[in-house]
Amino acid sequence: MESLKINGVKKQFAAGIPATIAVLLEQLRIEAATVVAEIDGQIIECEKFAETKLHEGQSIELVRFVPGG
Amino acid sequence: MPDKLVIADREFNSRLFVGTGKFSSNEIMAEALEKSGTEVVTVALRRVDIENENDDMLAAIDRNKYLLLPNTSGARDADEAVRLSKLARAATGINWVKLEVTPDPYYLLPDPVETLKAAEILVKNDFVVLPYINADPILSKKLEDIGVATVMPLASPIGSNQGLKARAALEIIIEQANVPVVVDAGLGLPSHAAEAMEIGADAVLVNTAIATAAEPARMAVAFKLAVEAGRLARKSGAAPAGKRASASSPLTGFLRDEQK
Repeated sequence: MESLKINGVKKQFAAGIPATIAVLLEQLRIEAATVVAEIDGQIIECEKFAETKLHEGQSIELVRFVPGG
Repeated sequence: MPDKLVIADREFNSRLFVGTGKFSSNEIMAEALEKSGTEVVTVALRRVDIENENDDMLAAIDRNKYLLLPNTSGARDADEAVRLSKLARAATGINWVKLEVTPDPYYLLPDPVETLKAAEILVKNDFVVLPYINADPILSKKLEDIGVATVMPLASPIGSNQGLKARAALEIIIEQANVPVVVDAGLGLPSHAAEAMEIGADAVLVNTAIATAAEPARMAVAFKLAVEAGRLARKSGAAPAGKRASASSPLTGFLRDEQK
C-alpha cells in the first residue's frame, strides 16, 4: 500500500496517495489557505498546492499559525 | 505631536505589542487585541493536527488591523529557527519574524549563540529580524551590528509576571542601542510596562499578563494606558530621585514666631 509520512507519522493510502497537495488537504479536510506545506524539506507555496504532485514515500510537513507570544 | 515608533520600513502609533497565546477563546483574544490598541500581534507555528478538526485562530485576527509577527518558538537551534522563519514567510508573504530560540523548557531563556547565528542568516535572507534575547548589552550590540531591526530583551522569564528584574541591564541596553528596544517577556502588570517605558524602552510586548487576567479585554486597556503614560513620562523629563526631602511648600511665612 502506498504511504506518505505526514507530520512525522506514516499514513497509508488504500486508494493510492493523493495526486497533489491540494487533493491531500481536501482529503484531510484542512483548509488550504491556513497551512504552509513542506515536502522533503522544501517549502511549497499555497498557490502551488494544486500543481504540486505527491510521490510515494515523501515526507510532508503541514504547518499552521497558532496562538503564541 | 506625532511620536511614532519606527521599525524597519514601518511606522506604528501603538508601542504595545501583544501576543496571542493563552487566551481562553478566540473571541476573548480578538476583543483584548482590539482594546489594547495594538498594531503588532505575535503568533507561533505548529504542525497541523491532522487527526482533529482544526480551529483556525487566524480567522479571528483582522490582518488589516494588525501586523502578524510570527515567532520561532519551538526552535532549539539556529537551523530550526531559520526553517520556521521561512515557513512563516511562505505563509504570509511578510518577512518580519520574532526570532526566538529557547531550548530550555524551565526558564525559556533564549540561547544567545544560536540566536546570533540565526539572526545573521535571516538578515542575509532579507528578513526583518526582531530577536528575543536576555538583557545582555553586548549581545544587543552584536545583533545590531549584523542588521537586526530591533532588539527585544526580556524583563524576566516568559510568563513569569515578575516585572523588570533585568532593569539595570535594560537601562544599559537602552542607553547604548541604535535600534528600537522592545522589552519583551515577564511584564506582569501595567505598572511594569509603564516602568519599562519610563526607563526609555521604545515599546513593550505583553502576552500572559493580558491573556490570563480575569478580564483580558479590561487588562488590555490598562496596559494600553500604562504604555502611553510611561512614554509620556519619559518624554516629559522626570525629575531625579534624591535621598533627602526637598520641601514642596514654602519654608518661610510660617504661622509662628521664630525663636530668637
